Amino acid sequence: MFAFILQRLWQAVIVVFAMSVLVFCGVYAVGNPIDVLISPDATQDIRAAVIAQYGLDQPLWHQYFAFLGRLFHGDFGRSLVYNMPVSELILSRLPATLELTLIAVIFASLAGIPIGMYAGYRPHSLLSRAIMAISILGFSVPTFWFGLMLIMVFAVQFGITPAGGRGDTASLFGVEFSFLTADGWAHLILPALNLSLFKFSLMIRLARAGTRELMLSDTVKFARAAGLSEFTVLSRHVLRLISIPLVTVFGLELASTLAFAVVTETIFSWPGLGKLIIDSITSLDRPVMVAYLMLVAFLFIVINLVVDLTYALLDPRLRKGRA
Amino acid sequence: MTAAPLGPLLEVTNLKTWFPSARGEVKAVDGVSFSVAPGEVLGLVGESGSGKSITGFSIIGLIDEPGRIVEGSIRLEGRELIGLPSHELRAIRGKTISMVFQDPMMTLNPVLSIGTQIKLALEAHEKISAADARERAVKALAQVRIAEPEQKVDFFPHQFSGGMRQRVAIAIALLHRPKLIICDEPTTALDVSVQAEILAEMKELVAALGTALIWISHDLAVVSSLADRVAVMRHGHIVELGPAFGVLTKPQHEYTKALLDALPSRAKPGQLLLRGAGIADAAPPPRKSATADLPPLGSPYLVIDNAVKRFQKPMGFFKEIAIKSGIFRPLPVVQAVDGVSITLKRGEVLGLVGESGSGKSTLGRVAAGIAVPTSGSVRLNGKPVMSEGRGARKITTRIQTIFQDPFASLNGRMRIGDILAEGPLAHRLVTRAEAPDYVRQWLAAVGLDPTFANRFPHQFSGGQRQRIAIARALAMQPDVVVCDEPVASLDVSIQAQIINLLIRLRAELDLSLIFISHDLSIVRHLCDRVAIMYRGRIVEEGEAGTIYDNPQHDYTKRLLAAVPVLPQAAE
Repeated sequence: MFAFILQRLWQAVIVVFAMSVLVFCGVYAVGNPIDVLISPDATQDIRAAVIAQYGLDQPLWHQYFAFLGRLFHGDFGRSLVYNMPVSELILSRLPATLELTLIAVIFASLAGIPIGMYAGYRPHSLLSRAIMAISILGFSVPTFWFGLMLIMVFAVQFGITPAGGRGDTASLFGVEFSFLTADGWAHLILPALNLSLFKFSLMIRLARAGTRELMLSDTVKFARAAGLSEFTVLSRHVLRLISIPLVTVFGLELASTLAFAVVTETIFSWPGLGKLIIDSITSLDRPVMVAYLMLVAFLFIVINLVVDLTYALLDPRLRKGRA
Repeated sequence: MTAAPLGPLLEVTNLKTWFPSARGEVKAVDGVSFSVAPGEVLGLVGESGSGKSITGFSIIGLIDEPGRIVEGSIRLEGRELIGLPSHELRAIRGKTISMVFQDPMMTLNPVLSIGTQIKLALEAHEKISAADARERAVKALAQVRIAEPEQKVDFFPHQFSGGMRQRVAIAIALLHRPKLIICDEPTTALDVSVQAEILAEMKELVAALGTALIWISHDLAVVSSLADRVAVMRHGHIVELGPAFGVLTKPQHEYTKALLDALPSRAKPGQLLLRGAGIADAAPPPRKSATADLPPLGSPYLVIDNAVKRFQKPMGFFKEIAIKSGIFRPLPVVQAVDGVSITLKRGEVLGLVGESGSGKSTLGRVAAGIAVPTSGSVRLNGKPVMSEGRGARKITTRIQTIFQDPFASLNGRMRIGDILAEGPLAHRLVTRAEAPDYVRQWLAAVGLDPTFANRFPHQFSGGQRQRIAIARALAMQPDVVVCDEPVASLDVSIQAQIINLLIRLRAELDLSLIFISHDLSIVRHLCDRVAIMYRGRIVEEGEAGTIYDNPQHDYTKRLLAAVPVLPQAAE
């Protein structure tokens, strides 16, 4: 297990390094921030001074190594737009995205897995067919449209929930969270629902396919022959066996949602990372873009490592051989 | 019959279990009647598709959708089981009737510890504390002779061998002291020596606990060693039912006789088996490859010299460093074949016998030029079978292989004709114009209709597929054929046909065969010489008759003693 973690960390270092090159070059190609920063009628002297201040007069490789050097000191630079350290900026936005995606993914799993297992347990019942129809809908309906519909129905027609924003927050470990207040929940519920629709459908499909296959297996037959109740068979035998693919998808979805909740955050004007990255791209805020993309790469690596370690926890066959 | 204490434990009357399908009802079980007395062992024998397993599942109420019991009655101690609500059936399952399945690999849940699985089975029928459940689990494991049960209770299924896993399954079946256990081919997936141990233990347990047993099997010899009475099933009917000794020594029904005649252990070695022996197949097409340089029959032909085959997992960069710096131990190297030297004479059939993991299949692959030996050489008529160097590969078409599983070894998307013609065309044994005719001749030679050339593999039964695989190997006009368990997955009657086919073709084509098998009676029947493999080495080698009548090595003796034997009628 130790060598396995070591190997993964080595891979992580390579990935992060490759990512830094790609991100730096890619962002360089997007556009020159000076055009946005300085008014067109500024004098040539001011222009040159600003360019020198941000180190943009240096050759590209020089800029890259300077960037890498700062990175090692934990310095992601200052945002050109907000004029504050990028790390601070991202940390101020991260909790909002974190709570939104966690709630969405956890809801999708808690609701999707049992519903999917039921559909796999009774594949021919009417209810199961209805569930499958809904899950196909969940796959095919565009996120933005579903989001707009949610706002139309719940915020505009019935006026039960607010249409956007984050609402009241309360502090936990010095970080502001919405899920600690009733008003925060009211603001959370619609974007979380919108974000979880796709994942919910995915979990249903996966849980159904796994359950359906396992119900015909000798393991289940043997458990039934020993007189176990159907509930015990499902909750103790089947759930454990289908959990490995579910955990894989859970991890991947969690990572991609954290990184790319952009559409939902924009529709519900949720002040999270997704909104930040969109703003920074339109204003060519290079340091923010770079730091954000690095953070995304890092998140994927960490989540995948956790998923791999969870495998070993779930499946004893994987514990040996790697140890 | 009244529910007197001496009445039957289980009484099945006119049981019909049908499966609706697109082509109408499949009558898997169609009017079966029998009874089981308390403590009695009933053997239920039949070939695949005879309905023997479905009968077992009907009794325990676990028929898969869309199958259903359409008629009949199943009475347990006088109480009708058919039509019971599911919760009452569940209360009987595991408590009064329990079941053991064929493959212990598939029945135990791989991600739950043995202790947890036993605890779940206990909780199904009684309220029990975690500590008590553990204690009961330890006792249950000790009962089926698992050493160190206190530690083993925390093990996971993959940490046990096949035989141990089946013992665990039996322990779970015995937990609530059921009155009846249904065993569905419980020893079929196990090695003979393990099978012998389990059979002996089962006999003891059943006698000690007074449990009745329904033992479902395709193997008449296994059933005869255990059962008081035997029921022979075919096409959903019981064709013969009576005391085991009587049925097996003086069979009344034609089908029972045919089944017994299909067994190689009841025929003289080398003779065609009685079943299907009368059918004369067409002669194979003439050989094209030059036979001038072949040595005379009986002289050394395929020579394997000190062959070693090791399997080692490739290591990553970091793992290698970690091992070298002693952070963790290297993975053990698997020595599948450990310095084997053996010679196959031309025209001879050499049997390679061993249990699973003995390295017999790996040796077969090395001999056939499919696997590169780690060291040592394989020579055919003095010339190497494999090319030299790093990317070594087979350089002769004179050796062909027939594999165990005819379902996996034929490409499902190719027509039979193309499958058979592919190799001969590639090696210019036939021209494209001759190919169709060549294929038809081979199909006729293995006893198949020549018009089958246009069909796909899935349209054939297992036995037919194995014939196709044999035709494919022989169409390459080899001198040596390596047969790796070619009949292991087939029913006895089909098995007899394939054995007869091999005996015939071998004589007609002067073939030299390496016949790999775990089944000692088939090897005895078919082979001139036998080599016994154990842990990658050949422990004993010699004339078949000599080895079977007078084994020298301890392992050979143990192996031969473990083979269940049919009772022979006093003449």
